Amino acid sequence: MSFDEIRERARLGRYPIRGGGARRAVPTFDDLTFLTASASRYPLEGYREHCATRTVLGAANARDPVVLEIPITIAGMSFGALSAPAKEALGRAASEVGTATTTGDGGMTPEERMSSKTLVYQCLPSRYGFNPDDLRAADAIEVVLGQGAKPGGGGMLMGQKLGPRVAAMRTLPEGIDQRSACRHPDWTGPDDLRIKIEELREATDWRVPVFVKIGATRVYHDVRLAATAGADVVVVDGMQGGTGATQDVFIEHTGIPTLAAVRLAADALADFPDVALIVSGGIRSGADVAKALALGADAVSIGMAALVALGCNDTVHDFGPASYADLGTTAGNCVACHTGGCPVGIATQSPGLQARLDPVRGAERVANYLRAITMETTMLARACGKADVHHLEPEDLVALTVEAAAMARVPLAGTEWIPGR
Amino acid sequence: MCGITALQLRDPGLRPRLGALMAAMMAQVAERGPDSAGITIYPEIAVLKGVGHPAVLATEWRLHEISGTQAVAHTRMATESAITAAHCHPFVVGDGLSLVHNGSFANHATIRRELLARGVAFDSDNDSEVAARFLAYRLDSGDDLEKALRLLCERFDGFYTLAVQTPDAFAVVRDVIACKPAIIAETPGWVAMASEYRALAVLPGIEAARVYEPEPEEVYLWTST
Ligand SMILES: Cc1cc2nc3c(=O)[nH]c(=O)nc-3n(C[C@H](O)[C@H](O)[C@H](O)COP(=O)(O)O)c2cc1C
Ligand code: SF4
Repeated sequence: MSFDEIRERARLGRYPIRGGGARRAVPTFDDLTFLTASASRYPLEGYREHCATRTVLGAANARDPVVLEIPITIAGMSFGALSAPAKEALGRAASEVGTATTTGDGGMTPEERMSSKTLVYQCLPSRYGFNPDDLRAADAIEVVLGQGAKPGGGGMLMGQKLGPRVAAMRTLPEGIDQRSACRHPDWTGPDDLRIKIEELREATDWRVPVFVKIGATRVYHDVRLAATAGADVVVVDGMQGGTGATQDVFIEHTGIPTLAAVRLAADALADFPDVALIVSGGIRSGADVAKALALGADAVSIGMAALVALGCNDTVHDFGPASYADLGTTAGNCVACHTGGCPVGIATQSPGLQARLDPVRGAERVANYLRAITMETTMLARACGKADVHHLEPEDLVALTVEAAAMARVPLAGTEWIPGR
Repeated sequence: MCGITALQLRDPGLRPRLGALMAAMMAQVAERGPDSAGITIYPEIAVLKGVGHPAVLATEWRLHEISGTQAVAHTRMATESAITAAHCHPFVVGDGLSLVHNGSFANHATIRRELLARGVAFDSDNDSEVAARFLAYRLDSGDDLEKALRLLCERFDGFYTLAVQTPDAFAVVRDVIACKPAIIAETPGWVAMASEYRALAVLPGIEAARVYEPEPEEVYLWTST
């Protein structure tokens, strides 16, 4: 901890809270590289030869499985943490490229339901805004046990963001800090989770898939238990995963890197061929997507990167009074989502600031971004000789560092050595 | 780079010449696979494999003296796995299923893991063995050869021309892109497949044969008479 951080605590007598993900250096997908084809394997032609990206989730149990045209979904980010236009923009973008978006703590807004072709409805410990009507309006249900940014912790929404609409949806008083439960009220262990999942299936008449989301800690056991309890999809969020607001100590000091989590989760699902794996936490580029798929994910989920595509940390706007400086930060360094003063209208409930985000133009940027990283993903898959991005496998990768080799369990580049093997 | 030749005799009069015809065909594709070679001869399911030039091996094996009903052979230029007799095609598995492969699969490591998890055992780290074991596993599960080959097309990624023989059938299939060469010729006396036409040109009656290139992802299957 730096002297400044000590002084901050000395001054305030409390812990700092912020948004965003872990800022410390941890091994990431950047520490891996692909062994693309040349003579012993053959690459596929980019223009003529198709590389499939379609991903179907939950076909074994749900009458209407989730069909994604690209293996990249938008992660759950709450209305409350995000503004209504931001939620609408994410829904529009996801629909345009044929993928899913996800609600968040605090429930579903009509704008996001209308703008999203495929909407995953989260069931969180807080149950704020959770109701059977929205449940039945959803295309999938995601039971949230935890998030990578704060595994073991609960949701958080600062009073500044509890405006009238958010407060009403959550049946909370306006303007008062909300700290959500960290544990579901009606079940604890995997035995109860099985019953909960069945209850959700019955409530939705076995129509939609059920996801279970966990923060990456004891990944192997947690994923196995989620699958045993009947999940169609397990979502594993690594320690780099973003958040709208949480204690800094959680963001930096809990969980394991996404790179390590994928392989453990894939191992855990080896005996569950019908259960799909979605991985999130720090996914930014098509290379990240391709590497996550190669290590065993069926799809990935993105949070912060979608917000950046939407305009987070942008300087292009003509701000007028409220700006990054008022949040004590600068464009490019902002993680002040928790303050509600978001200068680009994304992480705010202030009507004036929200007006800065045009959901239609914002959606265009997010859709472009999703298309671009999908192309990057298929580019790498084709170069590895794959006609389907899901045919990428760990054997297509080597590691550039010993740490990454050990975590991803692929050989160190130029060797056949996998640490610990 | 590998060479494939396969022959199924319809005319019983040709049976004493099976080995000689196969040796002549293999000699024509030897340049495609000078490392090593192998052959399965039916109905005995005699499997001969060796390291060295195919022409030398054919003499060593006294191939021209061998008779039979059908045979499938391969001349190999190794890509990823070692040059040993164990890595030679045909991969002969299950109830006498022989498979030869020209090309390279792109997702065999995953399929190998899946088959291992289902209790299937492997003899080598060769990608082609994965295809052979996959077919044998599907046949064991009750699928017929045609269905098993269709499933193989669905599941396997990469480049492949495959020739497969079982005690009662001969089949050819190629991947969706089909850039690994293959040519088929049929006469009332025989049906043959090879990587290159010159290997078919040595067969008796080739002038009158129906000669065609197999289409991508189409299963060609002939039952033994
Ligand atoms: C502004 C914001 C709000 C979030 N709200 C929720 C939430 O309500 N429920 C949840 O499960 N995860 C929430 N998350 C976490 C995301 O679902 C996801 O796990 C994470 O953003 C993935 O990491 P990434 O941001 O590096 O892509 C939120 C993330 C952000 C950035
Ligand atoms: S610009 Fe807005 S969305 Fe981006 S980090 Fe700052 S407050 Fe959060």
